Amino acid sequence: MTTNQTTASRSNGASDDETALVADGVTREFGSVTVVKDVSLTVRRGELHALIGPNGSGKTTLLELLAGIRQPTTGTVRVEAETQPRTIGYLPQRPEFRPSFTALETLTFYASLVDDDPEALLSRVGLSDAANRRVEDLSGGMTRLLALGQALAGDPPIVLLDEPGSGLDPGMRARMIDIARSLAAEGAAVLYSTHDLALAEQHCDRISLVDAGHVVETAPPEALLTDHDTTTLRGVFEGVAGGSDDAVTVLGADR
Amino acid sequence: MTDTPAVSPAQSVQSVAVRELFTVGRARSLLALFAGLVAVVVGIGVLGGAPRYLPTVADLLLPMELLVPTVAFALGYRPIASDAERGELAVLKTYPLRVRDYVFGVFLGRAIALVVMLLVPLVCLGGYLAVTSTETPSLLATQQGADSPIIYARFLLLTVLFGLTILALSLAVSAVARSRRTALVLAGAALLFVVVVVDLLILRGFAAGRIGSDLLLVVLAVSPTSAYRGLVFETALDTPGLAVAQASVPLSLAGLVLWLVGSLLVTAAALSRE
Repeated sequence: MTTNQTTASRSNGASDDETALVADGVTREFGSVTVVKDVSLTVRRGELHALIGPNGSGKTTLLELLAGIRQPTTGTVRVEAETQPRTIGYLPQRPEFRPSFTALETLTFYASLVDDDPEALLSRVGLSDAANRRVEDLSGGMTRLLALGQALAGDPPIVLLDEPGSGLDPGMRARMIDIARSLAAEGAAVLYSTHDLALAEQHCDRISLVDAGHVVETAPPEALLTDHDTTTLRGVFEGVAGGSDDAVTVLGADR
Repeated sequence: MTDTPAVSPAQSVQSVAVRELFTVGRARSLLALFAGLVAVVVGIGVLGGAPRYLPTVADLLLPMELLVPTVAFALGYRPIASDAERGELAVLKTYPLRVRDYVFGVFLGRAIALVVMLLVPLVCLGGYLAVTSTETPSLLATQQGADSPIIYARFLLLTVLFGLTILALSLAVSAVARSRRTALVLAGAALLFVVVVVDLLILRGFAAGRIGSDLLLVVLAVSPTSAYRGLVFETALDTPGLAVAQASVPLSLAGLVLWLVGSLLVTAAALSRE
């Protein structure tokens, strides 16, 4: 962890009754490249929590570590949510499904693994009218909604969404955030990565700033603005990440 | 994929297997391959001369040594690599689906498709032989060299076992490759290796004296194609007057089963790594 952590971020790793998922000193290396560095983070029940950081800062790898898709090189990820058949729902950054399957058939497969109702899942994400449309004929936004339906199969208490609003029109993005918001209102712990600073500022309960593999700071949006003496999340982001929009930080590129 | 299933393992396996069957049923390339297989098998059987079981098995053996691996690899090289490439394998890790249930489900679905693809033309041909055969077949095949549907049935069973073995091998290729392009290249190499290279190595080793007569039956059992060929010779084409054994039936059967089980274990191991 870097030295400019706030009290809020230092408290991460501890758990309480609201804690659903804890990352404790998690580091992940790919060969000689360290993509996630000593991250401690707590995801709470009933909370919409955003991960914000530049491209290539390690958000996706961190979400994969939290979802159990990858194993940390060091550190631990601990689930403290109630035991469910499926504890963590995960929406990947670029969801793809088997071609030639319809939206309903796709969710029927995933729902069958957790004894869920595929039509209810389609309805929840607003895709009932596209039930019989093949996945290759769905728009990018509809594919992402279908993937969200997949992430919700089995009613997991923890939902991790990797850039759920990426590439979506404003209406579709608002629908996505509405669903995430309603999940949190129902008690789920929702963590999602995003580049949409305005939406995060408006809707999230807490925000974690990720830079070069570190979680630099975690706090409610208002606290971040106050701490950084700025009026917008962009100001906070630029202060933490160096503010360069001209180049992507690539971890390990200096090797 | 975790170790705490929400539905029973049998239901999970069924879900995965049904998904594979749907996929195969909608793949035009596989349907075209199936049509080609039907045409070749029925063509060889019908145009091959005397409509009798024994000569037909003899006519079919060599083509099937090439066709069965081709069909099995076409069915098996892609499913796991495609799931990995699309990120669905990663997503499935968040479901209470055990790796072994996923692997067995994929194998089961593809195996059902393979068995249908192999048996439809062979059973049709068997029906044709039963109707057109001029000899009264001996149902019990108690005499060596006697024509019998039992001979043909053994050939069918061995062909299915050979196909399932190669299918399992192709799934291992798919799991190790993790991308469709790599899987295609590896599958081509594995097909060449299984069908041609191993036989050539055995032949060369035998000719050079590196493989002695006492070891030959063991070595033949190690190669899936040689094991299949030897089993067909020993159990279906067992001709009188042939003093030298073509294969050890137990060793060759064990060889095929070990390839099958070993390949499925390699598949599961490859998926268990991150």
